[in-house]
Amino acid sequence: MESIKMETNNLNLWYGDKQALYDINLPVYKNKITALIGPSGCGKSTFLRCLNRLNDLITTVKIDGNVMLDGRNIYDEDVDVYDLRKRVGMVFQKPNPFAMSIYDNITFGPKIHGIKNKTELDKIVKWALKKAALWDEVKDELNKNALSLSGGQQQRLCIARTIAVKPEVILMDEPTSALDPISTLKIEDLMAELAKDYTIVVVTHNMQQASRISDYTGFFLMGKLIEFDKTEKIFLEPAHKETEDYISGRFG
Amino acid sequence: MGKYELLKKKIDEFKLITLPAIIVVFILFILMLGFYFYNAWPAIEKYGLGLFIQNIWQAAEEPAKEIYGLAAPIWGSIYTATIAVLIALPLAICYAIFVNDYAPKQLKYPLIIISDIMAGLPTIIYGIWGAFILVPLLRDHLMKFLYEHFAFIPLFSYPPISGYSFLSAGILLGIMVVPFASAIIREAYAMIPSVYKEGLVALGATRYETTKVLIKYVKPAIISGFILAFGRALGETVAVSLVIGNSFNLTYKLFAPGYTISSLIANQFGNSVLYKYMTSVLYSAGLVLFIVGLIVNIIGLYYLKRWREHVSH
Repeated sequence: MESIKMETNNLNLWYGDKQALYDINLPVYKNKITALIGPSGCGKSTFLRCLNRLNDLITTVKIDGNVMLDGRNIYDEDVDVYDLRKRVGMVFQKPNPFAMSIYDNITFGPKIHGIKNKTELDKIVKWALKKAALWDEVKDELNKNALSLSGGQQQRLCIARTIAVKPEVILMDEPTSALDPISTLKIEDLMAELAKDYTIVVVTHNMQQASRISDYTGFFLMGKLIEFDKTEKIFLEPAHKETEDYISGRFG
Repeated sequence: MGKYELLKKKIDEFKLITLPAIIVVFILFILMLGFYFYNAWPAIEKYGLGLFIQNIWQAAEEPAKEIYGLAAPIWGSIYTATIAVLIALPLAICYAIFVNDYAPKQLKYPLIIISDIMAGLPTIIYGIWGAFILVPLLRDHLMKFLYEHFAFIPLFSYPPISGYSFLSAGILLGIMVVPFASAIIREAYAMIPSVYKEGLVALGATRYETTKVLIKYVKPAIISGFILAFGRALGETVAVSLVIGNSFNLTYKLFAPGYTISSLIANQFGNSVLYKYMTSVLYSAGLVLFIVGLIVNIIGLYYLKRWREHVSH
């Protein structure tokens, strides 16, 4: 039986007066990859950003409903949002390494969460880069500026940076949309590998990608979760007409 | 394709309209530089390099007895502008960050407007406030204290009798350039793509930790902001003339009265026609300011441009 890592209950979200999410109920299963698909502007990225409270940055956002992580609502008053974001990491659409060395990019997270010991940091860097399948390419130039890496390498560095703080859940917001096909393939392989240890939620525009890598898929349309099920079910026998239309490429 | 169309294709109408303005500005600039050279030349020819490295001001009715050296005002300009930038640096950075990251939304725009108004205020307003409020305040509460207790440090060893001094001018200039420098930093800071901020926040960074990293992204803008602010402080005239004390002192002692190039010109211009060489000397002083200001501004703008290209790619 699969256990639920995160779950939203009747999640509604407004940007000012405009409602962007309507009563979303979506489970995220532990150590599985959940893909969120849907046309642009359907609210899938907005939804993803509710899971680590990144929407807190936008002052006009209003949220109603619960987002449970291991059975606790992350929007409760007494939740430490910095600790939450340590547990729920995020990888972005555009690779966004910080303008510092590869080494410092990885150690930034562990450092702010209290790890100061150099030996331990060295160990984390090696471990995270290996885990992100980047170690062999950069092990001799850890002090090089991260911005000098290629796009695909930068994105793997961002993944390494994310797992360096030992999260439980990794959110990925179209992590391959800015990358070439070969880099994309590498990241997809990596995701499959990471799913052994982490719970992954990935927003993607690419339907083949969703069908290739995910265990579960949620289809969003105009702020509503139209359908959520096992990925093969969604792609082979969708229950809703809209889902079928979308995955068969009739709109989007 | 007809000849007319070809012509039309080559000539962008808007370019055509703006061209005369650009040419006029350029010609004015060249003419002005040439004019300064022309008028400064008699003094430069007569006194040579000494005009710029000696500290002497001897006006005499007999031209042969006239001797001038601009070292003190040149030093004063650079010294006060440096003090100003050192004072403005932390304030401007803090103000920019506060407005961008910390100010509540209702406060953000009023703060921006206030600082933009402050940047554009007529400088005589700062000057009068400086002369009547700031200088006595500094003299009674800061300079006297430092002089009484720390006079063994050479910087503080000049007796602050009037309060009109390098320090007063530097502090006043510092206050004046804060809004200007902070506007450059503020705009640069707001231009940092949000993905970097989000990346930091998503790792669990607090607002302080986030700001600490983001500020590194605008380092070139900070540098250029201060070079440009230095240029402003260098050229400021009225306010400085009112608080610097206007005397030929070539010293680093903060509480000593001094001169800057612009305050020298403002003060001496009236008498200069009485003497054969003084007008030309003042032109030479103006030329120094012109050239130094030009170099400083070019460097500052170059840095800023390079940063903008870097961030927008």
